[in-house]
Amino acid sequence: PMAGVMETEEQSRNRFQSELEFIQCLANPNYLNFLAQRGYLREKPFVNYLKYLLYWKEPDYAKFLKYPHCLHMLELLQYEHFRKELVNAQCAKFIDEQQLLHWQHYSRKRTRLQQALAEQQPTQQQQQPPAHGNATAK
Amino acid sequence: MTMAEKATKERLLSVLDDLEVLSRELIEMLALSRSQKLPQAGEDTQILDLLVQRDRELQELMDVGREQGRVQEEMLLLEKEVEKRDSDIQQLQKQLKEAEHILATAVYQAKEKLKSIDKAKKGSISSEELIKYAHRISASNAVCAPLNWLPGDPRRPYPTDMEMRSGLLGHMANLPTNGVNGHLPGDALAAGRLPDVLTPQYPWQSSDVSVGMLPPHHGNDFGLEPPGHNKENEDEVEAMSTDSSSSSSDSD
Repeated sequence: PMAGVMETEEQSRNRFQSELEFIQCLANPNYLNFLAQRGYLREKPFVNYLKYLLYWKEPDYAKFLKYPHCLHMLELLQYEHFRKELVNAQCAKFIDEQQLLHWQHYSRKRTRLQQALAEQQPTQQQQQPPAHGNATAK
Repeated sequence: MTMAEKATKERLLSVLDDLEVLSRELIEMLALSRSQKLPQAGEDTQILDLLVQRDRELQELMDVGREQGRVQEEMLLLEKEVEKRDSDIQQLQKQLKEAEHILATAVYQAKEKLKSIDKAKKGSISSEELIKYAHRISASNAVCAPLNWLPGDPRRPYPTDMEMRSGLLGHMANLPTNGVNGHLPGDALAAGRLPDVLTPQYPWQSSDVSVGMLPPHHGNDFGLEPPGHNKENEDEVEAMSTDSSSSSSDSD
């Protein structure tokens, strides 16, 4: 979605790939702290770039994201207050902790659900909790 | 009856007055005729004629009066009728207004519904795609922690330091020379494989790729600042993992 720039197909591909990687790095609070401490988050071009990256929210692009947390971080990064706070290492640590807890929430919920199901039907063959989980949404 | 004509009541009263006057004259004449001769010849007959005439007038006026009374009664009846109809109309008006209000509300809500239907249609995605995507992000533990995750496990819901370095951006950077850092990507690459948690970052399934490409894995002067050495994350990983080389990404 860069307007007015002629690029080759290869350049296009690379840009896609780089932006895909970069945006997902934003899901890492430690990386965000790193960027903040080196002053990138204060630079106007960088802030503009973050705004530009919002195109990844569209389904046609979002489907390539393996780490969807990055979209939430990207949205938060649009706010100056958030960008300022990220300089603080404790802030980044807090975000990291909360993120991990959230990440674990679903597996805990799933474990509880499976336990509940197992208790309900003792005669049926009990399924092993699959390592990758049955990913279809409940 | 126009305003120019006198009211019936007045006419009746004036006729009565005339009658009174005439009768009095007649009686006076009769009283006088006892004592003296009539001064005028036909005066008595004149008076009688007038009397008769006035009486006739009286009778006519009485008829008129009666007729007027009847008409008046009819008018009252009709007025009552009109009142009733008026109230009926008002009632209907009220009901019509209510109905209009209800219909307007219904139409408005229907329009809102149509709007939201359109909106939903615009944002619709095939359920197959959604399920595929859900599968991908869940299977790689990107949104849900692996069930056997414990503190110390290096896996994260975001790309770790190593993953970042192994990607396109990482290879565009000049890696700072640092003992710990230096051997990270080397390890992974030397092992002959990239940590396969990284691969889904690439548009792997060709059917999904609308942009139509697999990335060529070579450097490009994109000019993007690469993710640098993140000492903090590094130290944490060091502390948490028992393995000194952090290529413990793939434990499953």
